[in-house]
Amino acid sequence: MSYPSEWTLRRAIAFFAALGVGVATYIAIAEASGEAPACLAGGSGCRTVAESSYSHVAGVNIAVFGIVGYVLLLASAFFANDAARFGGFAVALGGFGYSIFLTYIELFKIEAICQWCVASAVLMTILFFLNATRLIGYGGTNGALPSRA
Amino acid sequence: MNAAEDRRTKLLQLAAGAVFLAVVVVVALIVVNASSGGDGGDTNLEGASEISQGLRGIPQQEMLLGSPDAPVELIEFGDLQCPVCAGYAEEVLPPIIESHVKGGHVKIEFRNFTIIGPQSTAAGAAALAAGVQGRGWNFVELFYRNQGGENSGYADDAFLEAVAKGAGVEDLAQWNQDRAKLAAKVEETSAEAQKLGLDGTPSFAIRGPNTNGLEVIGTPGSTSALEEAIEEAS
Repeated sequence: MSYPSEWTLRRAIAFFAALGVGVATYIAIAEASGEAPACLAGGSGCRTVAESSYSHVAGVNIAVFGIVGYVLLLASAFFANDAARFGGFAVALGGFGYSIFLTYIELFKIEAICQWCVASAVLMTILFFLNATRLIGYGGTNGALPSRA
Repeated sequence: MNAAEDRRTKLLQLAAGAVFLAVVVVVALIVVNASSGGDGGDTNLEGASEISQGLRGIPQQEMLLGSPDAPVELIEFGDLQCPVCAGYAEEVLPPIIESHVKGGHVKIEFRNFTIIGPQSTAAGAAALAAGVQGRGWNFVELFYRNQGGENSGYADDAFLEAVAKGAGVEDLAQWNQDRAKLAAKVEETSAEAQKLGLDGTPSFAIRGPNTNGLEVIGTPGSTSALEEAIEEAS
């Protein structure tokens, strides 16, 4: 099976992680200023989600955890070693899993959808698949494609 | 197997373990949440899901229902034990909520005006505590839907907790702490209602671009009478 070069994957990871930092930072700033993130097509889903009890864990806005996660993913793209490959995969896996949980919560518990949360979930899903491809394709190697016996 | 391949195999095994762990954690989180409060499906109270559906997507801030930027503010002074208020909640207000509140033109605030008995104060404080968690209107409507006889003792702690759960209050420990502190606020709005000259529940007051501050409109007898008042205030 052929994989994109690790350099290409790292650039894509850096790009989507930087977008994620932007989205999570916007949600965190909107929350800190007492406003809900603005819904692009109107509606009140973002306010409903932001005001729900699920928007905070241990008193900290989950967007702050999002910023930390995306920054770690961005950092992992700058190194071509196994620690960065596995670290990036683990963070993306955690973010992807939590995004599934939050989407479930939005649909069935809060019963409101926030476009910014959906945007973050999509970015985290893309980052999970990119990091998984990077780990499977280049884990345990020096960056060149692993030889097949 | 050489050292590099061995390292690669171990790394992928570790990744597979992490994926398995993540799947278990996510499934456990969803199962735990599905069986807790939320939409009120786990209580024996009537109408929890229907009320949750009706209020779905409408912003709630403390006891305010609707967009905080709505130009017209309708204030309902009610007593949770009052059967006429329950009738209003079921018959008169839903069309107003459906059209004017969901449309962003009107916001409605519930304020306690306790005239029936001491249980009204406890119930009112419990509603305000639900409001702290953005479920104030779910609480008020669910309470009305399952209302018992005036001062008959049904509105005890167990009933209030069941209503809170059914209303979707997530943090019941916090709700318990808050309601203990909010009885004074119930007394405060009751005193305000008396000061406004109100003598029964539900009573309404309205504020809008065409009103001179807060104007008392008493107890409009129908949805259309309330709509007229909204139109005049707009």
